[in-house]
Amino acid sequence: MARVAIIGDSTSVAGFRPLGFAVFPVREPEAARALWDGLLTGGYGTVFVTEPVYAALEDLIAEVVDRPLPAVTVIPGAGSAGGVGEAKLERAIVRALGTSMPITEEEG
Amino acid sequence: MTKMRVNPNRMELLKLRRRRDVAKRGHKLLKDKFDELLKEFISRINANRKLRAEVERELAAAYGLFAVARGEAGRTTIEEALLSGAPGEIVETAERNVMSVRVPELTLTELPEPGGYSLATMPVVLDEALAALGAVAPKMLELAGREKAIELLAAEIERTRRRVNALEYVLIPSIDETVRDIQMKLDEAERGNLTRLMKVKDMIAQQQEADEER
Repeated sequence: MARVAIIGDSTSVAGFRPLGFAVFPVREPEAARALWDGLLTGGYGTVFVTEPVYAALEDLIAEVVDRPLPAVTVIPGAGSAGGVGEAKLERAIVRALGTSMPITEEEG
Repeated sequence: MTKMRVNPNRMELLKLRRRRDVAKRGHKLLKDKFDELLKEFISRINANRKLRAEVERELAAAYGLFAVARGEAGRTTIEEALLSGAPGEIVETAERNVMSVRVPELTLTELPEPGGYSLATMPVVLDEALAALGAVAPKMLELAGREKAIELLAAEIERTRRRVNALEYVLIPSIDETVRDIQMKLDEAERGNLTRLMKVKDMIAQQQEADEER
């Protein structure tokens, strides 16, 4: 059994607290750096980060990308443009295939 | 291609040939693994893109409902109401083996029922917003598990590709070249021996002729 953490601005993440998520509201995305070590050792199976937090922590998140847990996932925050999660996935694709893959909507 | 520094003798030749056979077998296996990993990877990518779009859309809708709730009751009231509830262990983690890559499997156990705030003072839309988040939470966890699996598969694919390439373009050609080199040196020695033998035979024959004439 594991816990689920979510980091982001309080407007985006506050609603997850009643659902049992461990919520870490940060005023500035950079403030999440101080929380990161605690999150890695805190027995969290999944860490959700909002897009601005992901942009601030990209280097730290890249360090755990090859570990099975925690699974760090980008979610759009309230009012962010979106598309960062897709870009993160795109990097995995480039890593695997050596090139990016066009989006094929009709497949699957 | 760089030749290996080995003694050009029959023993090394046999050893190298055996090594080449093993390398070729390994290359074929790794290549098959690589192809299978790619197939798995691409099918996962396509499924994941759909799920991510769905999660992002539903989250945006839930954020919208929260914004309405904040507008109706005020930011501080809503934030106080949302302080109810405590973080708990809400996911079950298991590991699954996909082509020798251990990927985590995250399953959401029961979500706690949101509540603990006054229903009289809170707007109805807050309940709806929480219900919307509750509906998207299982999908978020599924997405987290799938994306992690994709990242781990990507790392494995990269590793396997390097191994395949190292075997295909470095080790096997280098062994081939060394084998060819040793073979040529052995052939050369063989020819040298043969010529020497013929020469000695000639000399003996001449010697015998000279003896007979005397």
